[in-house]
Amino acid sequence: MGVIECREVSKKYLRKKALNQLSFTIEENKITGLIGRNGAGKTTLLKLLSGFIKPTSGKIKIFSEKPFDNLTVSVNSILIDDQMAFPTALNLGDILVAASKFYPNWDSKLAEGLLNYFSFKTYQYHNRLSKGQKSTFNMIVGLSSHCPLTMFDEPTTGMDEAVRKDFYRALLKDYIAYPRTILISSHHLEEIEHILEDVLLIKNGECILHQSITDLKEMMIAIQGKKEEVSSLLLNHDVISEQMIGTDYMQKVIKRHEISEDSILSARRSGLEINAVSPSQACLYLTQERKGGIDDVFN
Amino acid sequence: MSLIKADLAEILKKQYFFKFKANIDVFSSLVGLQLLAVLFSLGGGMYTGYYGGGMDISMKLYSADMVILFTMIWALITSVTITTKPYRNYEFTFVTNRISSSLSNILFLLTISLLAGFTSMLSANLIHVLVYFFIDSGMLIYEQHMQDIITGVISTSLYIFLFCSFGYLFGAFIQVHKVFSGLIPVGIIGLLLFDGMKLNSTIAMFYFNEPSLFMFFIKTIILAGIAFAVAILILRNMEVKR
Repeated sequence: MGVIECREVSKKYLRKKALNQLSFTIEENKITGLIGRNGAGKTTLLKLLSGFIKPTSGKIKIFSEKPFDNLTVSVNSILIDDQMAFPTALNLGDILVAASKFYPNWDSKLAEGLLNYFSFKTYQYHNRLSKGQKSTFNMIVGLSSHCPLTMFDEPTTGMDEAVRKDFYRALLKDYIAYPRTILISSHHLEEIEHILEDVLLIKNGECILHQSITDLKEMMIAIQGKKEEVSSLLLNHDVISEQMIGTDYMQKVIKRHEISEDSILSARRSGLEINAVSPSQACLYLTQERKGGIDDVFN
Repeated sequence: MSLIKADLAEILKKQYFFKFKANIDVFSSLVGLQLLAVLFSLGGGMYTGYYGGGMDISMKLYSADMVILFTMIWALITSVTITTKPYRNYEFTFVTNRISSSLSNILFLLTISLLAGFTSMLSANLIHVLVYFFIDSGMLIYEQHMQDIITGVISTSLYIFLFCSFGYLFGAFIQVHKVFSGLIPVGIIGLLLFDGMKLNSTIAMFYFNEPSLFMFFIKTIILAGIAFAVAILILRNMEVKR
């Protein structure tokens, strides 16, 4: 039984399909990264899961209930993004007090600690904060709520390097102390891969990959060497990406299971360079449109 | 982390108290508006003169009518405001569903209607005192019983609450499409002018000339109830667009 279950979920905005027949299940107490390019449907998916919007077709179950207009889902989940609205009449201190009343698992000690650490003052107002500060404050609300389902949509927008690192560390520490289901959407997989267990990759509203980060790390290899050698080695393989390096050398990326250990070994011996492809690179290859790159625009 | 079963009544209570904090501006605007109306009321209205037999009598009526009128407009604006996007969105930052959001809004509007009805009735006293000391220190004929005050507060509050329900419905329509923000006022004014204020006077007879407080209470609650029910139905399927 998963915390999140989606069956053939589609969402249309007027004529544009934001999500297309999306199906996946997320188990309890896992940290999952929701990865995809701009406009892939990450935000739409998270809004559907929080019950903000209704699916056009398909079934969504959060804790075995339909999320739209559902009070139980609302109490047990929170969505943190840079559009979070707070009453303008309340200062930061008041907002945290209000949140503590609404969310039953609220951790006041954590909220206070984080507020002090990031040097917020309780008398400040949310709409006067800078972009990065807003994101930081929203993140404090998200972590302290200790909701069984916590979702972050691009949580680090506007945060500086130091705050981003602190945030991921705080998230991991708090998760270890209070395990819960966490979904983080991001374009920067390399930034969050160390805290993720699973990756859910979506492209054009479709789920194209849902597996553990360790599997993803071993999914692809890059073979680099003299053009002819690489080409002859990978003559009958499904090449995911190829790139010229200078005039004589090239790099091709293939899935690891496409090639046997023996051929890898012999390729190494004959001077080819074989490297693992990082998860974020792998995601990039999986989501790129096959035909050409940005260079083609200018040619 | 264990799941918590949501309890509608519990969340309603939380939202209700939260709304007083979040909408604190509503009260300051009420005070400002009523003070302004008191100032306008000092001019007095309904002047009657009598001259004859060596006597010259002139009477002027000072009342809180202006204050009540201003308060109704305030009620309309307030209830439209709380249906707008930012106000609905910050509820979804915390815990809510569409029904609990509307129900707590109605409870909030009911409370501020009672408060506003109370202060606008009391403002009559302020007007009388101000007139007596600063403007017209003639003979002040002033009679008011406790019962009158109570009847006044209840009926004024009911009128204000009725306007809140209209505002809430109006606001809900605007959330469906912006075009209603112009269409509805134009439609209403057009309708009134079109049939030569006939409808207007029928409504006025039905609502404003009701001699029995109890009947008036029933009529108002039913009409406000219908307006709120339609608004709830409209807002029920509203998606949160941040």
